[in-house]
Amino acid sequence: MHPCSREMQGINYVLNPSSQIPLQDLQNQQHQQIQNSPFDPSSSSNDDFLDQMLSSLPSSSWADLKSPWDLNPPTSLNIPINNSSAKPREDETPPSMPENVGFHNFDESVILAAKLRQHQISGGPSPAVAAAAKAMLQQQLMMATRGGGLPQNDVVDGSSFKSPTRGDGSVQALYNNGFGAGSMHGTGQASNQSQQHFHHPQEGSLQAQNFSTPGAGAGMAMNQPQASGSTGGAPAQPRQRVRARRGQATDPHSIAERLRRERIAERMKALQELVPNGNKTDKASMLDEIIDYVKFLQLQVKVLSMSRLGGAAAVAPLVADMSSEGRGGAGGGGDCIQATANGGSLPRTNSNSTQTPSSNDTLTVTEHQVARLMEEDMGSAMQYLQGKGLCLMPISLATAISTTTSHSRNPVLNSNHHSLLHSNGEGPSSPSMSVLTVQSATMGNGRGDASVKDAASVSKP
Amino acid sequence: MNPHHHSSYLNPNSLKSRFTKNFLRSLIKINKQTPFPCRPTEMFQRCHKVKTAADKSLACAVGSRRVWSRAMLCKIRNRALRRGPQKPPSVRRIIINNRTMKKGFNCLKEKMNDDQEAGIDQTSKLRKLVPGGEAMDLCNLLDEAAHYIKCLNTQVQEIHDAERIESLGKD
Repeated sequence: MHPCSREMQGINYVLNPSSQIPLQDLQNQQHQQIQNSPFDPSSSSNDDFLDQMLSSLPSSSWADLKSPWDLNPPTSLNIPINNSSAKPREDETPPSMPENVGFHNFDESVILAAKLRQHQISGGPSPAVAAAAKAMLQQQLMMATRGGGLPQNDVVDGSSFKSPTRGDGSVQALYNNGFGAGSMHGTGQASNQSQQHFHHPQEGSLQAQNFSTPGAGAGMAMNQPQASGSTGGAPAQPRQRVRARRGQATDPHSIAERLRRERIAERMKALQELVPNGNKTDKASMLDEIIDYVKFLQLQVKVLSMSRLGGAAAVAPLVADMSSEGRGGAGGGGDCIQATANGGSLPRTNSNSTQTPSSNDTLTVTEHQVARLMEEDMGSAMQYLQGKGLCLMPISLATAISTTTSHSRNPVLNSNHHSLLHSNGEGPSSPSMSVLTVQSATMGNGRGDASVKDAASVSKP
Repeated sequence: MNPHHHSSYLNPNSLKSRFTKNFLRSLIKINKQTPFPCRPTEMFQRCHKVKTAADKSLACAVGSRRVWSRAMLCKIRNRALRRGPQKPPSVRRIIINNRTMKKGFNCLKEKMNDDQEAGIDQTSKLRKLVPGGEAMDLCNLLDEAAHYIKCLNTQVQEIHDAERIESLGKD
C-alpha cells in the first residue's frame, strides 16, 4: 500500500533516499506548516531558520513521540517567534523529556529522522550542523533497526541547550539520547562547544558504522563529513554530487542570491554608460544619478513640448518654478532647460527684435519694472520677463556670450547689450545683485550654440 | 553613438523614425483641432496635449515590448477615459497594475531584498519615475530604466530637432 501519511512517507524516504518524489511531498508539507506560522522577518537567513527549526524540534518531536499517529500537523512545530522565547521552553522540557525519550517505536525514530532530514534540506543549514544532523539521522535509523528500543538517556545535559549555537545543542542532545550512557556519552558531554562539534558526529558515525549495516546513503554521509569537516567551509551532501568551492555554499538559495546580485551588477553597469557622470563606484550614488537624470529628461520633454507651441506666457510659470527651486544648483539640467524654453519662445519674439533700436527707452522701463518685481517676488519677475521674451543672467555670463557671439547675425544684439550694460550701472537695483537683461536672440545660430548662450541663471547675493 | 545616428535616419523602422512619424502626425491633429490659442489657459492645455502626444507616440513606437511602455499606454488611455466619465483614481490604479499583479507575493519578497540591496529611498523613487515600475523587482526595474532612458533621450532629441527645423522654417 502506498504510504500516504507524512510519517509513512518519511519512512519511505529514509529507506529510499534516491527517490525524489516523497521528499518533495515532505518538503511541501513542511513548508505548509512553516507558512502557517507568522513570518518572521528577523530570521530570514538560512542559519537562523535552521536554528529555529532545530530549537523547536525537541519540543515538537517529543510531542510527536507522544502521539505518533496524530495525523494533524503538530502545532508545536510552529516556529517560535523569537529564539529567546523558545529558550525557557526548552529549559523546562528537558527534565521531563527523559521519560519520553525512549524511541520505543521504529516509527517514532523515523519520524524524527524524517523531520531532521526535512529541516536539513529545506533550511539550507550551516554545513557543520547539516553534516551532523545527517550523521545523527543515520545513526538513529541504524539504532532503531538494530534493536528496536534505544537506551534511554537519563541525563540530558541541560547545558547543551544553552550552547551558543543552539542548533548544535539540540542535535547534541538528540545525539546523546541516541547513544544513551554508552561510550559516546562522555565525549558527547565534553563536546558542548561548537568547535569540537564537527568531529564528534564523525566519531559517532564511525562507531555507528561498526554496529550495523547503514542505510543507503549512510556510507557516503560518513565519509564525506570526515573529509570536508575540517575545512569548515564546503559541505558535501550526498544528494548533490557537486562539490562547492571553498567559502561558497551549494544550497540553491545562495546560488540564486548570487545570480541575482550578478544580474543587478550587470544592469547597473549598463546604466552607468547611459547616464552622464556615471563614474560613481558607489551603488547608492549611482542610483541617485540615475534618478536625477530620469527626472531631468522627463522635465526636458515637458518643457520642450510646452515651448514648442506654447509661447512665452505658458512657459513662464514653469520657468519661475524652476528658478525658485533650483537656482544655481540645478547644474546643467536647469540651465539647459531654461535655455531651451527661451529658445523656443524666441521665434515669437524675433519679430519684435527689429524694433529694439527704437525701444531703448522701453528697455529701461522694463528694467525698472523688473527690479520692482524682483523685490517682491522672483516668480512674477521671471514671468514678466518671459512675457517680453527676455531672460536673466549674470553679467559675467553675458559678457562671455557677447564675446562669442560677435559673429552673430544679429548685430543689434551687441548694441543692445552695451546699452543695457551702461544703463545697468545706474540701475535702481542694488549693486550687489548682478542682473542683466539680454535679449537672447541667438536662436538662429542653431541648437548647439543655443544651449550655451541661452543659459539663464539668476544669481542672488 | 554617431554611426547609429546616421543609420537611424536611413532605417525606416528605427525607434527614432517611428517616434517622429507618430509625433508629427499627432501634432498635425492637434493643430487642426484647435486654432492657435491666445489665452494662457488654452495655451497650457495645448502644451499638455503636446506633451501627452509626445509620450504617447514614444510609447507606441516602442510598442508592447517593454513593461514601461505598456504601463504608459495604459495610463494615457485611462486618463483619456477619465476625461469623459469621471472615474475615481483608484480604478485607474487597478487597471494599470492588472497585468503586473500576477506576480503576487514573489514581488513583495523580492522588493524587500531590493531595499536591502540599494537604498530604500532610491528604489522607491526610481519606481515612481519609471512608468510601471511599482511592481517590478530590482533587476527588471534597472533593465526597464535603462531602456526608458534611451528612449527618453531619443524623444528629447527628436522634439528638439523638429522644433529647430520648424523655427528655421519660420525665419
